[in-house]
Formats: sequence, C-alpha cells, structure tokens
Amino acid sequence: MVHHHHYHEYMQQKIRRNTSNQQQQNKRHKFFINDNIDILREILKRLDGPSLGVASCVCRLWCNLTNNDDSIWEHLCFRHVLTPPPATVRPVVVALGGYKRLYMVCVRPVLSRLSESERVMKRVWTRHEVQLSLSLFCIDSYERLAGGGGMIASDASPSSLMFLCNPINV
Amino acid sequence: MEIEIDSVSSPSKVKEIDGLLADVGYKVKSSELHQVAQNIERLENVIVNSSSSDISQFASDTIHYDPSDIGNWVDNLLSEFDHTNSLPYDFSQLSDLAQDQHQHHHHHHQNHQLKVVTTVEEDSAIKLIHMLMTCADSLQRGNIQLAGSLIEGMQGLLTNMNTNSGIGKVAGYFIDALNRRIFGQNNIIHIENDVLYHHYYEACPYLKFAHFTANQAILEAFNGHDCVHVIDFNLMHGLQWPALIQALALRPGGPPFLRLTGIGPPSHDDRDNLREIGLRLAELARSVNVRFAFRGVAAWRLEDVKPWMLQVSSKEAVAVNSIMQLHRLLGSEPDPNNPSAIETVLGWIRSLNPKIMTVVEQEANHNEDGFMDRFTEALHYYSTVFDSLEACPVEPDKAMAEIYLQREICNVVCCEGPARVERHEPLIKWRERLGKTGFRPLHLGSNAFKQASMLLTLFSAEGYCVEENQGSLTLGWHSRPLIAASAWQAVPETLRFDH
Repeated sequence: MVHHHHYHEYMQQKIRRNTSNQQQQNKRHKFFINDNIDILREILKRLDGPSLGVASCVCRLWCNLTNNDDSIWEHLCFRHVLTPPPATVRPVVVALGGYKRLYMVCVRPVLSRLSESERVMKRVWTRHEVQLSLSLFCIDSYERLAGGGGMIASDASPSSLMFLCNPINV
Repeated sequence: MEIEIDSVSSPSKVKEIDGLLADVGYKVKSSELHQVAQNIERLENVIVNSSSSDISQFASDTIHYDPSDIGNWVDNLLSEFDHTNSLPYDFSQLSDLAQDQHQHHHHHHQNHQLKVVTTVEEDSAIKLIHMLMTCADSLQRGNIQLAGSLIEGMQGLLTNMNTNSGIGKVAGYFIDALNRRIFGQNNIIHIENDVLYHHYYEACPYLKFAHFTANQAILEAFNGHDCVHVIDFNLMHGLQWPALIQALALRPGGPPFLRLTGIGPPSHDDRDNLREIGLRLAELARSVNVRFAFRGVAAWRLEDVKPWMLQVSSKEAVAVNSIMQLHRLLGSEPDPNNPSAIETVLGWIRSLNPKIMTVVEQEANHNEDGFMDRFTEALHYYSTVFDSLEACPVEPDKAMAEIYLQREICNVVCCEGPARVERHEPLIKWRERLGKTGFRPLHLGSNAFKQASMLLTLFSAEGYCVEENQGSLTLGWHSRPLIAASAWQAVPETLRFDH
C-alpha cells in the first residue's frame, strides 16, 4: 500500500511539474496579435498607404479588417494634415463613399502628384489641399450617381478623376 | 555658372541642375539647354548678318517675352528676325507670316549663310498657314472661286502632313469650316451637346477652373446667409454644383437652405433632362444633409428667360452664375427703340439684386465684324487650345473634346447674324460693358488663386498657367490666357449716375 501511495504522489508531482512547464510555455506564446484586434487596429491605423496594402495580404483577418474598417483609412487620409479636420467632415465623407475610397481615388494620387511637382517630399497638408480633395471626391461621387441613368454616354465610368491617375510627363 | 550640357546622364543629376537653374531664376530644363545653345548661336549669326535698320526696328517695336524662360525667349527673338528657320512655338507670330511675305524673302537672302534646315513638314505647315490666310482674305473680298481652289490645294497639302497633332490637325478643322462656309456641307455629327461638354470637362482643366473659381466666389459671398439661391445659366449635367454643395455642408455654422435654378434647353425626347439633373443633385445634397430645392427653367435662348420664371424671394441671397453664356447674347441687331438682348438680360439680373454674379468667358476676340480679323484671331486661339489638349491622355474624352471645339470653330467661321452665337470677347471688353450697365467688379481673392494653382499642379501637363488680372483670374497655356473668370456685384441704384 505504501508503494501505491508513493507512486501516486510521484505521479501527482510529475503531473504538477508538467502542467507548470506547460503554463510557462503558454506564458511565452500567450499573446497572439490576432486575438487582440483592438491593438491590431491601432497598429494598422498608423501605417502608411503601401504598408497598409501589404498588411492586407497577410491573412484573412487582416484583409477583412483593412477592407471593412473605414476608421483605419480615416487616419491615413488626414495623417499629414496640420490641424485635424472638424467633426462635420466624417459624415460627409461617409455619405460620399467612405475614407478608403477617398484615399484610393483622391488623396493618394493628389499627394503623389503634389510631391512630384516639388523637389522636397511634402509632409504636411494644408487646409486648401484637404478642401480640394474633398471637392474632387464629391464630384466623383456625383458622377457615380449618374452611372445608373443614361445621361452620359454609355461608356462613362466616372472619369473626372482619371486625370489624377495619369503620369505627369508629357 | 558653368553647366556641362553634354555629360548629364543620371536623372538625379538632371534634377540637381534643373534645381540650380530654377534657383537663379531660369525656367529652363537642362535637357533643353543643348537646343537653346544652338538657337543662341543662330541668333548671334542672324544679328550679325542683319542690317542695322532691321535691328533698330526690332529693338523698338517688338515685345520680348519673359527672359527667364530662355528657350521660348530665344525662339521668339529668332522668329522675329528669320521666319524661314524656325517654326514658332506659339502662333502669335503667324500674322507676321501672312502680312510680311516680301520681308520674308528679304530676310532669306540675308541669312543665306545660315544652314536652312527645314523639313518638308515645316515647309508644308508654313505654306498651309499662308493659304489659310489667303483663303480667308479672298472670302472677305467675295472671291469665292479663288477661295474654293485654295481649299482644294490645302486639302491636298494635308494628305502629306501629320493630321493627328499640331498644325495639321487645327488646320484641318479650319479648312473644313471654310469649306462649310462656302459649300454648306451637312455631315453633322449627331452627338448631344451636353455629352460633348462633359467630355470637354474631363479632358482639360478650363471648365474645372471655371467651376472651382466661381464656386469659391459664391461660397464667400454666401457667408452668413441662411437662405441662398443660385441661378445657373447653363445647367448641362450640373457638374459645377456637387463641390459647392459639399463646401456648404462643411462650412462652419452649418449649411444654409440652398435653392438651385437651372436654365437649359428643352429636352428633345420625352425625358425632362433638367429635372433628372435636379433629382441627382437633390440626392447628393440629401446624403450630406444640405436642405435643397431645385427648379428647372427650359428655354432655347437666354434672352427668352423672364425674371418672374426664376421666383426669387427677397429674403434669399442670390448668386447668378454664367459660364460662357453671356457672349451668346451679343448677336442681336442694335435697335434704337428696343434694348439689345445683352442689355435686357443684364438689366433683369440687376433687378434681382444678386449678392454676386460670376462670369466666365473665353479670353478671345471673336466678335469682330471683319471676317479676316475674326478668322485670324480664331486660328491663334484654337491652335493654342488644341496645343494644350495634346497633353490629355484620356480617351474618349480627348476626341469628344475636339468635336466640341470643332463646333465652336464652325460657328465662329461659318455663321453670320443671329446664327453666330460664339461671339467671344476678351475680359477688357466685358469690364467695359458690365461697368456701363451698372456692375462693379469684385476681387476674387487669394483663396481662389491658391485653389486654381493647386488644381493645375494636379493636371498632367506643365504648360498651364493661372494669372491674376486686376482681381480676376485667367487660365492660359504658355502665357496665352484662354479663359477668364470674374465676379461682379450690382451697383445700388442710388449710387448710379446714368450717362
């Protein structure tokens, strides 16, 4: 009976040691970024455009997040603005198509065009540039409204911003 | 400052040299320097070989362009002296070509030491211009037979030239217009004008400049008003108004109640085009929470519109917006008993007491009575416009934009009397006219200028330039203004002294 008891204790000690080892192992792998979407979102918000594009290719979760979470793109659009835009801007941008579209269709081409025309890469947007981008975005949104009706020639995908996407050198 | 012209190889070095040149105030690219140096040599030879009388005339009469733009400056000097050797960059030299034919030969003899390297293309171009001028002149004199044979000759020349760009293309349109004037051809392209207008809007910055500048002025005029009413003299697809709606939505203090009255031609088919545009604009306004009301006024001509149709209320701030419409009113016959169309319309605009009237017009003089003058002006103007269109890479916008311009050209060249509606007049004449009918100019301000400049840096070509002209803004191509935007306010009756 004593052997059995010792054996029992021995097994219990062994199990305890194994579980504490595992717990130590768990402590090392405890933090998965994909389990902490809030932190992931905060990190993605601070990326620049190309990095965000790369990030969206990492895995399905990251892809969904970058495609569907417009607030990430909001930070991207206005990261270089000196003073943050007023609160009234958000509902307007959302109504006209969202921040991701604003970035892809207006902000990114405008930024790259403006930095090409100056020798130094611009870091800060002025109020005027923000307003101009918003106006162009609004025209684009309006032209997409027309897509359903037959007002323009049938081959008209909204092209008012096409001029932004073409190379400068003539 | 020493600059090595030949050994510039890497793009970074090119940029560095361009930067250095710009720093000392020269607008020239290092890639152009080789050509500029050659031209300076040629100019030196020309000056050495010319007689002293030529030089003194040259010094006193000629206008020199901005010398910091070395390339164009040297070319202009060269073409003043020697018409055979360089095809001018801009066609402001063209009238010299036509009128000074005998001087042309005179210079040629003097400069025989210079190697005359003109390609077949350049020769044909110069010949073509000369024939165009002669044809227009013979038309003015009534010599239809000569005009007709010249047209045949020009069409023959064109077959050997590149008609896809440059002088060949523009000349083609003008030859076609002259042909129509004489023989009245009827191969009209059946595309709706508003469709062409939309493509013209996409292809080049002129209409965008017009819209953005006018909107900025209207926005500033509407500051502090809660009920505002915009009257658009030519609604088309309503492309001007989304940006204004968005700007009003975001203005500090919140958006006003916006009424828009759009004037346009009646629709052909069963559709109501004006109403459809109004609905689209209303949907946009609703999505950004701007209270909006639209009214369409269908009229074939602006002079048929009566002020009561616009239903202006006294409580609202009114803005009248005319993008290239006022010149269409200048065609009526002066009648001492009845006021002319332009006077009538300007009169009822004043009676509405608008806070602002925004006027955008082509910066050209296409309303001269003499056909030759009109033709020459139009040739210069549209050559420059087509030049700027070359920079447009977006199809089918470019092709459609050219058709849009071709219609304008045909109207200027072929039509007379009330049928000729494209009666463009330059800003200086509009200032006079509006001043006499009780309007005073409003300065457009630095915001409008900054916005226009920024808009241009976004456009693909580098030849566009915005200039300020006594409070108005002009947009041009390579220092030739092509479109002018201005803002006006009605002078109160009590302050006006009638002549």
